[in-house]
Amino acid sequence: MGVVLLPYLYSGGVHKHWLILELLEDLGGYVIQKIVTGTEVNLIMLIPEKDVHLIKAISDKLHGVLLEAPLTGVEIAVVSPTLASHHLPHSACDVAEYLRHPGANTNMIGLARGMGRRVALSKDFERKLINEHDLAVFTFGSFSDCIINKKPKLFEGIEVPVVVTGGPELKTEEVSGADLYVGGIGRVSHRLRRGEEVQALESLNAGVSELVGKIRTELAKDPLAVLPARVMKEIENQIPEIHNVLSPGPITLQLKGLRVKLPYEAFHKRVENLEFDEGVFLSELANISRSKMKNYILIKIKYKSDVGFSI
Amino acid sequence: MDALETFIVEAAIPSEAGFYKKILEDNISSLKLAPAIGRLKVILRPEDSLFQMALLLRDIGSALTTADIAKVEAKVATEKEVRISIKKEQYLPELLRLLWKRYGKANIKQPDRWTVAVVVENPLKVAPFIENLVVADPRHTLHENLVDFAIRVTPEGFRVRYHLFKGQKFVFVASEDALKKEWIEEAGKMLEALERTKGGV
Repeated sequence: MGVVLLPYLYSGGVHKHWLILELLEDLGGYVIQKIVTGTEVNLIMLIPEKDVHLIKAISDKLHGVLLEAPLTGVEIAVVSPTLASHHLPHSACDVAEYLRHPGANTNMIGLARGMGRRVALSKDFERKLINEHDLAVFTFGSFSDCIINKKPKLFEGIEVPVVVTGGPELKTEEVSGADLYVGGIGRVSHRLRRGEEVQALESLNAGVSELVGKIRTELAKDPLAVLPARVMKEIENQIPEIHNVLSPGPITLQLKGLRVKLPYEAFHKRVENLEFDEGVFLSELANISRSKMKNYILIKIKYKSDVGFSI
Repeated sequence: MDALETFIVEAAIPSEAGFYKKILEDNISSLKLAPAIGRLKVILRPEDSLFQMALLLRDIGSALTTADIAKVEAKVATEKEVRISIKKEQYLPELLRLLWKRYGKANIKQPDRWTVAVVVENPLKVAPFIENLVVADPRHTLHENLVDFAIRVTPEGFRVRYHLFKGQKFVFVASEDALKKEWIEEAGKMLEALERTKGGV
């Protein structure tokens, strides 16, 4: 412990990118996600604070770009009132896509009956699914009356921070139950690419990053018993079947845990018995349960104060 | 009446009317309705969960036959076939679909982009029939598109709907509560007002 890891995104050619991977391994950093598209590669990684300049040097040599990615290791639920064409693919998909730029993993959730004013409601299952994430972004429409008076009932039972997007420019205090409100992203039937729309998406990213920063500061006061990134690495080493999973991000990092995209019945025992060098098993450090998403495994890591030690 | 010569969106908060105008514009363009709509007025009252729309259509073309989009000839000298030389390519998929259904895919040849040949026993008899075949009916597709348009632009939760489509007139009222009689009457008055307006706004 004591090593501060900073999130970065490397974007460059596939050629010789393993030099970065090798150096990162030597330095004790972690690769969160590697996305290869044709001849391009995106590496989302956690780099030890004092060694960032070493990675930067290699990245410059390879003519790649190294960017800070403040939302790395954050899983965000982008919640749309329904899956109908009124709300999707614009603007909810644009919101989700834009949040991925700074490194977040986003999941789109369409509520079954979230539309309308009086009739809008969410199901217990949906609330539980949203609560598995680090943060929820609700994409609402263009009417301030709906956003202020009617839609906040959808936040009942949501325990994670709530970010709301909508058309009108409102203050966060006006939307009860929201931790952040971002205007200028209402209901649209076209892709968000005009100047002011992209500006609104950028302010959403800035606001979400700030919110995540606050959660991280809170977390620093009572840290987790083990870093999620370390659990990820151990899973990759000890459960080789994870390499056969085709989902993007077979292991998705969260601020306080991970989602492992392996079937629960067949693998939960092996995840629970994951052993660390210190001789500790994962089941001592974390709660492992069946995820509401498909049949995945959800790991929520306990706090140091609960376990009594951290590794 | 020019295309979209009147296009009004009213709401208590002007900026929200602006958002909605954009949604309407996007849907008009994605359903290619712009040439068909003459005057359009929408009133939004989110506080009452109410959406009212009245629109007047422009003159829409009548049904198109094969003769309107192509030249049809009966060839008997060399091969027994009806040769169709396409003039308006945009209706070709509809025409092909009709011909395939009637004469079978095996009997339809397309030697090039502008020619369709139908192999038949007695081309002289079949050619006039094909000439008078109704290929596309803009009124029918317009009706479909208009209903689709109304549903797409209405806020999704407003599932209680009233619509009237008569000739060139279209009225649509939607809410999430039971519709009040006066709401429908208001929409009817919107339409009457639209009929009186001449251009502008």
